Amino acid sequence: MSKLKELPVSNCEKKFIKKALSEWNRLDGRAFEEFRELKIEFGKDWGCCTVALGDTRVLAQVSCEVQQPKASRPSEGILNINLELTPLGAPNFEAGRQSELSVQLNRLLEKGLKDSKAVDLESLCIKVNEKVWMFRVDVNVLNHEGNILDAASIAALAALSHFRRPDVTFDGEEFIIHTYAQKDPIPTVIHHYPVCISYAVFENGEIILADPNLLEENVSDAQFTIGLNGYKEVCGMHLGGSAAMNIDTILKTSQSAARRAKTIIEEIKKYVEEDSTKRLNKEPVGLLLNLDIQNESSTDAHNKLSLCLDKWNKVKRKKKKVPAEIHELCGSIESLGKNSMALLPQETQGNEWIPSSDEEMDIIPGESDKQKHKGDIKMEGDSEEEEVLILNTTEQVKKRQKTRKED
Amino acid sequence: MTIKPGDFVMPGDILHDLDNIKGITLIGPGLRQNTEPNSLIVSRAGFLCHKPANIYWIETAHKRYIPKKGDLVVGIVVKKSGDTLKVDIGGAELASLSLLAFEGATKKQKPDLLVGDAVYAKLLSAHREMEPELVCIDKYYKAGNLGPLSSDGFIITVLPSLVYRLLNIEHPLLRSLGKKFPFEIAIGMNGKIWFNSKSVKDTVTLMNCLFAAEQQSDKDIYELCKQ
Repeated sequence: MSKLKELPVSNCEKKFIKKALSEWNRLDGRAFEEFRELKIEFGKDWGCCTVALGDTRVLAQVSCEVQQPKASRPSEGILNINLELTPLGAPNFEAGRQSELSVQLNRLLEKGLKDSKAVDLESLCIKVNEKVWMFRVDVNVLNHEGNILDAASIAALAALSHFRRPDVTFDGEEFIIHTYAQKDPIPTVIHHYPVCISYAVFENGEIILADPNLLEENVSDAQFTIGLNGYKEVCGMHLGGSAAMNIDTILKTSQSAARRAKTIIEEIKKYVEEDSTKRLNKEPVGLLLNLDIQNESSTDAHNKLSLCLDKWNKVKRKKKKVPAEIHELCGSIESLGKNSMALLPQETQGNEWIPSSDEEMDIIPGESDKQKHKGDIKMEGDSEEEEVLILNTTEQVKKRQKTRKED
Repeated sequence: MTIKPGDFVMPGDILHDLDNIKGITLIGPGLRQNTEPNSLIVSRAGFLCHKPANIYWIETAHKRYIPKKGDLVVGIVVKKSGDTLKVDIGGAELASLSLLAFEGATKKQKPDLLVGDAVYAKLLSAHREMEPELVCIDKYYKAGNLGPLSSDGFIITVLPSLVYRLLNIEHPLLRSLGKKFPFEIAIGMNGKIWFNSKSVKDTVTLMNCLFAAEQQSDKDIYELCKQ
């Protein structure tokens, strides 16, 4: 059978995406700085992890083996990272052949995880010059919907921090590798958690989209990837494609990437922790537990369709409610008697998701419209809140809405 | 266990007790004749569909398009060589489209199509061993609705099952969307749908709506549109 070609991107798709971006719209309704939903799940084995970034899905599995160390580094273990693009991910990926893309992704993953010395390799040494552990991280792309690298780096890192190697004892003559049942396995020592954060660059760096999906990736002028750890240390940087970016935009982008990296790393740590407590309590673990995604998506589609069709006006408000909800999280609701409540906002704003106002300024210099727009969103969000709370006085609310619309 | 229409079937399943008219049963994609009389063998995984009195077929969620003669498809030009264009229609092979197969095209005056442009065309021939051939004219040498599509719209790829449903003239989805805002749409049997409207917002709504409808049953869509 002949090789399946990559799905071509038509001119009208390119044109439309650029047009939508010039009107500050992304096709999936995200903000430019917004990332897709991240899901991390662990399998039954140690070091098995799937990561879903929107519709992109990646599976990582860590395995280990005792080997002779490299002559140049006799007291260090070996870490191998191997990313595979199979036809499972996209029809144009070929199994068993190294494509340009897979070599590039492999190298970037290696740069992030191996070259930044994230894993303590010296602790993997069993006997100097004779026996060390060799860790192998296999990353498989299950579905390619853009931004494989982010998902792969998160999966590899989460799998490594989840993995536990069997204990080894040396009785003077021979090495005994204990099974997991005989002796408790040993977790891997990780110095710092580096993850890759990718951006798509349009219009020579004037428009930068976080976490691009497949179409955005194909249409963009360049892809910009930064490897970062939780301490805001850069562990790798890559600009693929051709775009003249100035230093300021790169700095700005890396600032926001650093914030994103921090939240991702916290997520990873949280999920690893959750999984280990589950294992301690002998609760069931594994990937099969979360297989009822299908039903969720169908009700989701139903809501979406009804919004698109009948309550078209409500779509706007629903979407804009999101920032309001985030605000809600940092406040507390107090009851003021029957049918009324008060939202008490907290002073501290530990929110990673809302970009600070001066940043917005820097990305779009001289674009005060956008600023205003932001303000509107928040206001509308608040009014939505009111609407939800005062259910009985619908007339009043309607009136208020009318006046707002006229405004 | 007997298999009823609407059940999920796997390749190798055998259907018995078929409805027929004078001993004739019509079968569609995914079904084959079995060696024993009056039974069918399933060759594709999917849902068994039955239309009284005697038509059976399998509905699958396959993503690849299998070209069929006479289908209207939306394709994207991927290569231009001499007088022929190679067009991606989502099948296993690229289809060929002659530049002379447009309305009013002559040797000297040919339509200006670039790589990446979208066309709405009809499959003139589709054979298992040959590359599919497209034309943009009907049998009276007129374009009808065929031809190059404007580069202003947007193209999405949906499951073929949604295409079949949308092409039903009584299907209310597009009509009720049309009440909200005006739009242009070209639905290809290959699952590619091109559409255009006046504003970006409307086009995005249309896109979201089609993607959402993909996962919904017809019953739900009818109900929603009735409201």
